Amino acid sequence: MALATSPAWQIARQSARFALREKTVALLAALFVALVLISAWLGWRATATVDSIYADAAAFLQKSGQPVPQNPVLDISPLSLMRNMSVYVALIGALSAIVIGNRLVGLDRKAGVLPLIGIRPLTRSTYAKGKIVALGGLILLLALISGIIAVVTFLLLPAVVPNAAQWVQLAGFMGVSALYMAIFGLVGLGTGAAARSETVGLLVPVTLWLTLTFIFPQLTANLNPTAAINPISALAPLPDTPFFHAAGQVLGPLSLADAYKFASASLLDYLPQGIVSPSFIPPIAELVLATLLAGAFAWSALTRLSMAQGDYNV
Amino acid sequence: MSDVILTPSPVSTIAAKDMRDALRDRFILIVTAFLGLAATVALVTGAIALRGDVATYEAAKATLLAIGKSADTIKAPEFYPLRLLRGAIEQIEIIGAAIAILLGYRSAASERGRQTLALIFTRPMRRWQFVAGKALAGLGLLAGGLALVLGGLTLVLHLMSGIDLTVDDLLRITVVWGVAVTYTACFFPLSFILTLHMKQPSHALLIAFAVWLLLVLIAPQIGDTLDPDNQVAGGVFKQLNISKPDQVQIMKGFATYETLRDGIEQASVTKHFERFTFAVLGIKATYAGMPLGPILTEMLGNLVWIFLTALGLGALALALPINPDRLAKA
Repeated sequence: MALATSPAWQIARQSARFALREKTVALLAALFVALVLISAWLGWRATATVDSIYADAAAFLQKSGQPVPQNPVLDISPLSLMRNMSVYVALIGALSAIVIGNRLVGLDRKAGVLPLIGIRPLTRSTYAKGKIVALGGLILLLALISGIIAVVTFLLLPAVVPNAAQWVQLAGFMGVSALYMAIFGLVGLGTGAAARSETVGLLVPVTLWLTLTFIFPQLTANLNPTAAINPISALAPLPDTPFFHAAGQVLGPLSLADAYKFASASLLDYLPQGIVSPSFIPPIAELVLATLLAGAFAWSALTRLSMAQGDYNV
Repeated sequence: MSDVILTPSPVSTIAAKDMRDALRDRFILIVTAFLGLAATVALVTGAIALRGDVATYEAAKATLLAIGKSADTIKAPEFYPLRLLRGAIEQIEIIGAAIAILLGYRSAASERGRQTLALIFTRPMRRWQFVAGKALAGLGLLAGGLALVLGGLTLVLHLMSGIDLTVDDLLRITVVWGVAVTYTACFFPLSFILTLHMKQPSHALLIAFAVWLLLVLIAPQIGDTLDPDNQVAGGVFKQLNISKPDQVQIMKGFATYETLRDGIEQASVTKHFERFTFAVLGIKATYAGMPLGPILTEMLGNLVWIFLTALGLGALALALPINPDRLAKA
């Protein structure tokens, strides 16, 4: 009861409600959910096609008297059907989180209500706490919807039955996805509070996202941008040259898209043997650390926000 | 009055003013530098990886020769300098399109933000001239930015590959520049139209980015993801030891699936840009070493698609009526 009436909770509830009322937030969230649904279908369709190709190839090899290798589909875990979901979390999930973070503080700044909030008996840290709780709630909601879609997909496909350990892994993947979205959401929240212009507040986290998604994997593993957003092609062996070894050591811990990619591949059982992350920090630990850092940045920006004016300059 | 309508001066005046504005606040320079950095990183890492492959090949060759075996059993890495531009082209198709969206947004939002739209229309000019001036400035900035990026890449390519680029190579890069300008120009009117006509400019920017995500990243990615050869690490056919002609034979049984996959890819202008540029630069193995003329003939469909998309969106931007009273700062 005390929690429900606390100022931080009220700010969180009101902010989340207002952000959800925003058409763009709703549009991006709906797009994300639609793509998560598509990803489930894509995983199933592509795997079924490889299975059919194997049947044809096996018949062809037998006819020509060549040895028939094992069906590669048999090596695939049922969880890997969800591998495309990791791509959509990394693309539209992260972008939705940036927009949610930006809107959570941008709406207050544009509406000019910060001075009104400032005269209420609450501190700026209460305001910051409320905003971060609202962001966390909305991101958990997105992760929960994705999780429900994944569970329903497995229940609808009787041929694909994950065991108990795999259900836990699926829950872990949803947790890691929520962390990855939270990193960008917190940066969006922080820049939304710190930037003098609304556009800059949005463009800085988008640029960071572009850099982490398309430039860092190139430096750490020579992955071209289109390969970086394909769950299988993105897991290529590291080029065995001194440059890439050094780049992996230096940039690996900062390459969050790589960390998310490896954490997802490991949790969803599609990480090929012998392929390792370029970073010396384990992927999940790297994501946790990045979330804490992004949280500290958001906290710092929100607690420094001037409650006397707050509106954007442009 | 007819002189005023026919004179091109309002178009060039608006275009020149917009370009001056964009250069003055250094926004275009910053985003072009970002694209240049991303493209150069792609080129340099590609070259370093190729050098690594060459070194590995040379070491393996020396080992085989030392034990008296033929080196023919190992395949030498192929070297076509223009192929090193692959990552850079992919960066242009992703970040270049995003820059065009930002330019279109700024072009429209600047007038709305400063409440100058109604003022501009009190001047003796047609509304299409206003849009044409803005579009001309956008096109000029994109052309200039991409010329800088591709020019810089050509220089880096020349220095890193250690061989002189031929006139044919330079011609191919020029063709790619022209098509890259047209491709990115598809995204300028998209965000310009949305920003000029939607109630909230910031919503317009987000919707333009949602379209960008779908067209540039998701549609080609779906096609790529559905590629059976991308489902298994290393490729399904490689794992099954199936030769190329036999692969073609087997895939004939999956014509409907391949049509669906191709259809999803074809819906994206990005895929047409990628197919065209990969063919012209010989990045796709089947076009490596092929003369430019036959490639252009074969890739005409992709070229037409890119030009029609840019022209269609440009025409839409010119045709849509502008109501300055409704378009104040939101």
